[in-house]
Amino acid sequence: MCILRSQTGECEKPSPTDMETMYARYQAWQSKFSDNILDMGGALSSDGAVVDKDGVKDGPFVEMKELIGGYMLLTANSLETAKQVIQVSPMVANSGTSIEIREISTP
Amino acid sequence: MSHSQAPEGLAHLFRHEYGSLVASLVRQFGIQRIDLIEDSVQDSMAQALTIWSMSTRPENPSGWLYQVTYKYILSALRKDKRQHTILYENFDSSFNESNRQVYAPLVGQMSDALLRMFFIACHESISQESQLVFTLKSLCGFSVKEISARLFISEANVYKRFNRAKKSLVKQNFVLDEITQVQAEKRMPAVYKVLYLMLTEGYLSSHPDLTIRLDLCLEAERLARILCEHPWGNKPETYALLALIHFNLARIATRENKAGLVLLADQQRDLWDKQKIAQALSYLALSAQGDSISRYHIEASIAAEHCLAESFQKTRWQNIVAAYELLESVAPSPMHRLNRALAVAENDTPEAGLKILEDADIPSWLQRSYHWYAVLADLQYRTNDTAAAVQNVNKAIELAPSQYVKDLLNQRMSRY
Repeated sequence: MCILRSQTGECEKPSPTDMETMYARYQAWQSKFSDNILDMGGALSSDGAVVDKDGVKDGPFVEMKELIGGYMLLTANSLETAKQVIQVSPMVANSGTSIEIREISTP
Repeated sequence: MSHSQAPEGLAHLFRHEYGSLVASLVRQFGIQRIDLIEDSVQDSMAQALTIWSMSTRPENPSGWLYQVTYKYILSALRKDKRQHTILYENFDSSFNESNRQVYAPLVGQMSDALLRMFFIACHESISQESQLVFTLKSLCGFSVKEISARLFISEANVYKRFNRAKKSLVKQNFVLDEITQVQAEKRMPAVYKVLYLMLTEGYLSSHPDLTIRLDLCLEAERLARILCEHPWGNKPETYALLALIHFNLARIATRENKAGLVLLADQQRDLWDKQKIAQALSYLALSAQGDSISRYHIEASIAAEHCLAESFQKTRWQNIVAAYELLESVAPSPMHRLNRALAVAENDTPEAGLKILEDADIPSWLQRSYHWYAVLADLQYRTNDTAAAVQNVNKAIELAPSQYVKDLLNQRMSRY
């Protein structure tokens, strides 16, 4: 399981050219590691709610410094391989973005 | 920056869709809302980037982008409407149908909108430099930063020019569908001029990055092709411009090597793109209809002479001299005089070339440019007036706009 975290705050919008480049990088990365990528997962919106025993806190959570922005499922025979796949991914190339890799334990 | 990984036809998906989307949505929502439209197009592209990367790209990316952008705009307008109900009494009824299916326009309609927007941007109330910046930003999808790098002007200056164009368009509240063929006819010279500027800014640029020089030329080519496929633009002059664009595209890659810019005489002619030259020649043939000759016809024919010459020495200089003479009468410019002097120097003697410059009434802006000093120095060297030549070379190098041009001048003069 890969959890993508991004720093919140205003950043300059990418230009169409930047987006073309990013899209090309995504596609290249995906096709290179298609055996490792189980599920590209999805983006998580900043709207939502946090529920605990004291009640419900509604989003958006813009006041938080870091937001979980997406998730994705990888398969790899070791953590080392998973690290290598993620290190060259276009997502971590964006400044302010980090990806946490956690193994889903199976019984 | 490389687009080599992008599948065929997708290399400029976002940038090329940008202009048609903006234009089609301006047609729908009006020029008054251009800021909202441009922001929304950008947001829907950012969304596309995420969603398309996570799953598969839709079969009709352009339709997808149109629909998503349309919904963004609608929701922004609704929010706005709630806040200022009174101001928006005359709302288009379609804005209120909440779940109405949005149909993206057909490809032909989108390029029609793009072209109408181009003609609107070329209105006489807007200066040529602002027309160019507006076209590059709103119709070609370049960012302010990218335009600043391509035109060698500051980002603040790009903003200023863009905002002037935008203000004028919004103030006059142009409606895309109200522009008539007569008006379009009147604005044709301005439209050509913007395309020509895109071509020359790209082709003559001293930018070290080939992709950057190339993409302005390719944008000129894309818009000129859309223009010639439209009833308004299907004219001999458009074909002449397309021919000129292709003659230049055929040679652009050989205009530089690792050492910098390369002079025409030193370019590797066997590397010129023969397919592009063939395309250019067929456009040139199509341009030979009607009974008027434009500067683009003449410039294309000069480019054709160079492209078809076996070598620099075997160039038919007498044709080029004649063409420059004609060009000066059709579109007087001291730059053409300068070029004619160089052609005469090749065809006759360097002395004859120099004589043309001595007799000319050269405006002060040209006399302050490196072009002027460089040509003068070159001809003086060849007439063995070395002392004057050295002086003028130094002036040219001092005034050169970039290190690349300085290097080129040094390289050129080192042969004497």
